[in-house]
Amino acid sequence: MSSGKIFYNTLTFLVFISLFIVIAVVISLSVTSYPIFLRDGLFFISKSVWNPVKEEYGILPALLGTLITSTLAVGLATPLAISLAVFSAEIVPPRFRALINNISDLMASLPSVIYGLWGLFILAPILNEYIMIPLHRYLGFIPLFSTKPVPTNLFTASVLLAIMIVPFASSIIREAYSAIPYYLKEAAYSIGLTRWEVIKIAIGYVKSAIFAGLFLALGRAMGETVAVAMVVGNIFNLPKSLFDMGYTIPSLIANQFPNAEAYNYMVPALYGGALMLFLIGLVINFFGLYLIKKVMIKS
Amino acid sequence: MGISKKPLIIVIVAIVAVLASASMIAMSLIQSTMTQATTTKPPEISGIVNGAGATFLNPQMQAWASKYYELTKGRIQVNYQSIGSGAGQAKFREGVLDFAGSDPPLKADIYQEFKEKGGIIQFPIIIGTIVIVHNLPNVESGKLKLTGEIVAKIYLGEIMYWDDPRIKELNPELDLPHEKIIAVHRSDGSGTTRVFTAYLAKVSEEWKNKVGSDFTVSWPVDQLGNGVGGKGNEGVAAAVKQNPYSIGYVETAYAYEVGLKTALIRNRDGNYVLPTRETVESAAKALVQILPRADEDWSNVFPDETVDAPGRESYPITSYSFIILRQVYDDPVKVAILKEFFHWVLTEGQKDENVVRGYEPLPPEVAKIGLDGLELLRTA
Repeated sequence: MSSGKIFYNTLTFLVFISLFIVIAVVISLSVTSYPIFLRDGLFFISKSVWNPVKEEYGILPALLGTLITSTLAVGLATPLAISLAVFSAEIVPPRFRALINNISDLMASLPSVIYGLWGLFILAPILNEYIMIPLHRYLGFIPLFSTKPVPTNLFTASVLLAIMIVPFASSIIREAYSAIPYYLKEAAYSIGLTRWEVIKIAIGYVKSAIFAGLFLALGRAMGETVAVAMVVGNIFNLPKSLFDMGYTIPSLIANQFPNAEAYNYMVPALYGGALMLFLIGLVINFFGLYLIKKVMIKS
Repeated sequence: MGISKKPLIIVIVAIVAVLASASMIAMSLIQSTMTQATTTKPPEISGIVNGAGATFLNPQMQAWASKYYELTKGRIQVNYQSIGSGAGQAKFREGVLDFAGSDPPLKADIYQEFKEKGGIIQFPIIIGTIVIVHNLPNVESGKLKLTGEIVAKIYLGEIMYWDDPRIKELNPELDLPHEKIIAVHRSDGSGTTRVFTAYLAKVSEEWKNKVGSDFTVSWPVDQLGNGVGGKGNEGVAAAVKQNPYSIGYVETAYAYEVGLKTALIRNRDGNYVLPTRETVESAAKALVQILPRADEDWSNVFPDETVDAPGRESYPITSYSFIILRQVYDDPVKVAILKEFFHWVLTEGQKDENVVRGYEPLPPEVAKIGLDGLELLRTA
């Protein structure tokens, strides 16, 4: 066998391993969660109840909480991640560049329990005092801010998630941004564009990297367990405003899994939640790929 | 300068090195003579046993295990992983563990299943207490008086303000504000919640019918938007600290560690008590009569019958942690190690120097349940 053939076979084998793992995950999630779908059907995802005493499980609030916190987190993180990437690639003096990039990468690699504790003890009280209470006081007539805030709620969780995912998204954007051929920028400058206009063009050039970074960040935000469990309030109610306490699927799993085996249907219910999370992730990813393709074709 | 300094540094380093090694040799000599003096019997068995379960038990279990490892000079190693009571029981049922630690004892049907497969023993190993904490800015710690019924009504969402006449009546000397009570509870499934809700169910018929008692319950106060869920004791403690006018329940050690204000609770005999060595011991002793033997079913006794213990001094919300063992093991070495280790835990291990802060030792009458139970261990 030629070395090229060996290389090709190895790669194919590795691809199949990854594919096999994904399929195995789906199968085990489906098999384990099967009893709860058999018993409750779609009520399992359309009801709002978590009552182990009566073995009643309906995960709608956690699904909504996951979508709300991760969407808001990505919304907050997008401008931050793009600015950080452009700042470190374009504006900061070269000798500080490495420092800023290292700090940003370090932030991405911090264990989430550290973010969780920091969020609980430092971020939550500060947000409450200086942002949530004023927002509620002056803009409380808007339904989004209508609940009298306590420090731990969906909003705090979203902000914490945003902080956690900025380094992820920004490092991908940054790599793409620094890979822009220098002659393009020089050409732009040479026709008299200002720095701001050049940056605008460059950002347009790395659009697909921005999408990729944000989708990766969204995945992390949707799947975050411990950090969210510490700051989301963990109340199993349908949220009516951003300042309501809520739940997310991962934080529900983090909270309930240790004693789940003491019940007949809680393990299937938690796996069912994980399966739903997987499906949502899949849908979002396909949608994302479709979007990126469209953007690429257009440019 | 540089040349004259170098020898000086070398001399200092040498002296330090000599001193350090000399002291190390001396220490090890002292240690070996000491251990020679204390160990009387030659080691007969050695090996490892594996257990897992209740997180509440974990710090105490680690302390016992490492102390016993030291005492036996590594002859006996006890591993304990804190994976939660439910997971511990499940893994024990699967047969991958030699013992399980658990806040509640086995449920009746699981007990029955084990009984048919060769027998089970379960016995209390240490006592923990749960204390009611609050964050009333103007009220000092240990001053607020509450009853079980009032706490139940707060978590039911029926008493919503601190100046409710039912609270005021108990605390005429306190200046209670017209503020909403934020009721903090555990969001993760926990033995602490199991015991706390068992207490509420025992003192309040309404709680028993509407909510019940379990690792996690559906909190009525949450539906009103006045509940907060905290993950773990640290989460509850933080939520109580951050929310003025809140109330919560935590394992006692946490309340003192974080500096939370505690509330007095009325016991069955009408006295207002806090968890102390005396009140916990009084409660444990009052219960000795009703506690089953180690090979019997505990599920209908603990915690539903052990909370709200009678006795003038008794603290009402005490919790036992249990050790669960099979009666029959295949390996005679395991039997010997389990017997030896838990015998030590139930005797020497209950002495003050071996009890971690935040736990209370078993009175000898209660420890005897386990000691008698260990006699039943045997090889297939």
